[in-house]
Amino acid sequence: MNKVINKKGDLLLEFFSEEIPSRMQLNAEKQLENLFIKSLTNRDLHFDSFKTFSGPRHLSIIIKNIDLIQKDQKIEKRGPRYDADQKAIIGFLNSNNLDLTDTYIKETKNGRFYFYSQIIKGQKTVKILPDMINEIINSFIWPKSQRWANTDLKWARPLRNIILLLNDKVVKGKIILGKDIILNFTNFTFSHRYNDKKIIINKVQSYEKLLKNNNIIVDRRKRLNKIINDTLQLLDNKNLKLVDDKVLLEEVVGLVEFPNVLIGSINNQFMKLPREVLSTVMRVHQKYFSITDRKNNLVSKFLFVANSIKDKERDLRVIEGNERVLKARLSDAIYFMETDTSSTFENWDQKLKNVLFYEGLGSVHDKTRRMSSISTTFARTFGVKSNLAKQAAILSKADLVSEMVIEFPELQGIMGGYYAKIKNKSDEISKAIFEHYRPQGVSDDLPETKLGSLLSIVDKIDTLVGFFTIDKKPSGSKDPFALRRNGFSIVQILTHLKICISINELLKPPLKEYGCNSKSIKLSLVDFMIDKLRFILSNQNNRKDIVNSVLYSKILDDLPINVIMNRIEQISNYAEDKGFKLLLNNFKRINNILKSVKFSNNKEVQVNINLFQTIEEKKIYDLMNSFSKEIKEKGISDKYQGSLIKSLVKMNQSISFFFDNVIVNHNKEDIKINRLCLLKRLHNLILEFSNLEMIEI
Amino acid sequence: MNKNNSFQAIITKLQSFWISQGCILLQPYDLEVGAGTFHPATVLRVLGPDPIWKAAYVQPCRRPTDGRYGENPNRLQHYYQFQVIIQPSPDNVQNLYLKSLKFIGLNPKNHDIRFVEDDWESPTLGASGLGWEIWCDGMEVSQFTYFQQVGGIDVRPVASEITYGLERLAMFIQKIENVYDLDWNGITKTKGGKTYGDIFLKQEKEFSIYNFEKSNTSKLFQQFGDAEDECKNLLKYKKSSLALPAYHQCIKASHIFNLLDARGVISVSERQSYILRVRNLARSSCLAWMGKLNE
Repeated sequence: MNKVINKKGDLLLEFFSEEIPSRMQLNAEKQLENLFIKSLTNRDLHFDSFKTFSGPRHLSIIIKNIDLIQKDQKIEKRGPRYDADQKAIIGFLNSNNLDLTDTYIKETKNGRFYFYSQIIKGQKTVKILPDMINEIINSFIWPKSQRWANTDLKWARPLRNIILLLNDKVVKGKIILGKDIILNFTNFTFSHRYNDKKIIINKVQSYEKLLKNNNIIVDRRKRLNKIINDTLQLLDNKNLKLVDDKVLLEEVVGLVEFPNVLIGSINNQFMKLPREVLSTVMRVHQKYFSITDRKNNLVSKFLFVANSIKDKERDLRVIEGNERVLKARLSDAIYFMETDTSSTFENWDQKLKNVLFYEGLGSVHDKTRRMSSISTTFARTFGVKSNLAKQAAILSKADLVSEMVIEFPELQGIMGGYYAKIKNKSDEISKAIFEHYRPQGVSDDLPETKLGSLLSIVDKIDTLVGFFTIDKKPSGSKDPFALRRNGFSIVQILTHLKICISINELLKPPLKEYGCNSKSIKLSLVDFMIDKLRFILSNQNNRKDIVNSVLYSKILDDLPINVIMNRIEQISNYAEDKGFKLLLNNFKRINNILKSVKFSNNKEVQVNINLFQTIEEKKIYDLMNSFSKEIKEKGISDKYQGSLIKSLVKMNQSISFFFDNVIVNHNKEDIKINRLCLLKRLHNLILEFSNLEMIEI
Repeated sequence: MNKNNSFQAIITKLQSFWISQGCILLQPYDLEVGAGTFHPATVLRVLGPDPIWKAAYVQPCRRPTDGRYGENPNRLQHYYQFQVIIQPSPDNVQNLYLKSLKFIGLNPKNHDIRFVEDDWESPTLGASGLGWEIWCDGMEVSQFTYFQQVGGIDVRPVASEITYGLERLAMFIQKIENVYDLDWNGITKTKGGKTYGDIFLKQEKEFSIYNFEKSNTSKLFQQFGDAEDECKNLLKYKKSSLALPAYHQCIKASHIFNLLDARGVISVSERQSYILRVRNLARSSCLAWMGKLNE
């Protein structure tokens, strides 16, 4: 009875199902939290705190001190207008079962109306919970879900039991799975499959502990910590360490209910396999972690996480079984290596003719030929020999038809690199092939060599342009060919190496390879690349406003990347300079004056020197012409961006004089227009450098 | 030698276990198939007419591209599956499966058993389902699937399919590293004991040569077309259903496609269209089986 007076109690909801895929569990936990909290808020039910849990079979939430009864709700309802006819008013009273004394009149912005207020009695939480749970289940979104037996309801895997406890009592109710199939709420769940016991939960508070006693660690953070701690304990005293792999760790946390970290041995005969092959075979097929010594050399051991409690005899058996499986897998890998070693690049190259790159974009063989041709145009810029670039491009995709890469696609490039070495290609080429898929994300390593960087860019720009030409560019959230990542990778490499190549120069060769003359495709590619450039540059410790001002340069497409970078750097250096700030002010002033003026776009803005009335006009005109010459000559060199700013700042003194002494709005129309045109020319000229308007002072 | 865990003992144990669960024990379908799923007892029966269907059978499977001339200890172009199909999927089907493992000597208490996400899809059958591969101490010993669609048609009620890879399972139980060393019948050599290799090594060698080198591809292309035509013709027959013979031709086409694929004579762009052609046959046969072809 006490608790009813408190009107608060704890709640436990658990969905017990067959094994939910690891990758979906964390999101399910978050979803359960969001849906439940939303459902409570919608019903004006308050609570103190909550905690969520997830594992392969148990998905649950505990909510502390939840209202046991909803608060009464007062709602105000509007009736007819104060001056409505009697019939309407009586109708309103009758239909709501009211006397006139129950109502009151209130002023609103639409006039005076009859109102009445109604108290809606708060319901007992226990009564509305079943509806809430049904609602939550029906709103749940799984990346993939299924029916089972005769159900209509879909869940990630069959849902077998639901605990719903409020104040330590089972809530009476059910969820509907399909026609005539229901699941009643219960107070029990199930233990580890090892002993497969029914666990009765009498107290919400004891849920986590009871499960733990039955070998289910239901809190995934605790499972994670157990794995990490046990691993450290096993490895530390042997001077070994785990190869960091957060993704695998997170996956494994979702595969076990009671983690048991074990270490197995790799037969020495397999240690001759390349490190990446060993790690990939272990990771992809078996979800094993690699182990290294303190010097980061792979050792002939592997670590894995079984789903069991420690038991010496069983653990030995489990380790032995896993060792045997790994042996078979690695024997396969050796077989692939041997088969591949006896094949040739020429042979693979022929096979690539039968591998489709993408419908409409030819075979992978075609792709390597395009890459080869594109790479020769870029070779000099990258400081690479043209014939070397060509050869690397031709060989770069051969490994796609090797046995090893067919089996482990994630080893593409890496195997190509190894095989190139085995087959006596030059070190430069083998290294380039090895690293040309990098970077595979914004935080991934970039290619280390020039040739590798070139090959990576050529591969990616070919893909990017190709998909744009067949109208498969990314839109909204859809980017099935990961073209955005592709664009980022290209820009990352270009900015890292400060390459002297403009966006136009970058796009021209691949567009030519695809025989594409479309202006609109080219424009959308340019926009796409500028967008990626903006993102990467803004994330390199540059001021966003300065990046934007430079990327607004009128001739940006023709500006080499290194010049863009240098210009941003130089402007940043001048950002606090007094003279430069005055320039920004004057540019804004010019901008404001021109805003209200319409120039016909078709005509070149003409300035007539014969209409000049003042020395200031003439001075600006002369300085403008010399700056125009200067930016043409030096604008595309990354050495002169600073001196360009100096010239602008110098010119600014004359602009100030102009504004001090000259009235633009001369009463003679032709003089006025001439002055506006002068400012417009000046404005356009500065825009070639950067849109100073965008820089914050 | 251990009579209790020989290859054939494992088969007979699985058979008697699933018989005791009420399954009818069937025999393999008498055509080359890529998986036990192809058997009409699975593909067609899960579409009706009986809402309850429980069957178990061994099915030899052929995957020509997996041949390795008998030189790889784990890969075969011909191998055996033990298939259990139960419709509707029982609520305790996972437990039944675990019991079956115990019955053949793999007590879940003594091993690390895991259900690892593995959704299944057969593009040629237009079939898909959700489920797991089941790991025993890191070895994948079975596939478990809740059928959602077959022939592009929703499976209702949902059926559960359990597929045991018999060679792998037996290798695990016998602790053998080379499939050809598997003990087939559990008696000594002098008394007629045979290994898997004694029985199948020659077959693997010969069929690898046939599959990869010697099959007559122009004849195979012809045969593919013939099977396709025959299937379509049978489906045109109005007087009564010929779903079963039609589907029989569909299976033939599917295997011929696999043979052509092994010869590498189907380019990537053609590949998709061949798969679609087989899928159309499968879908039409399934519709015919349900009496819905002309709806």
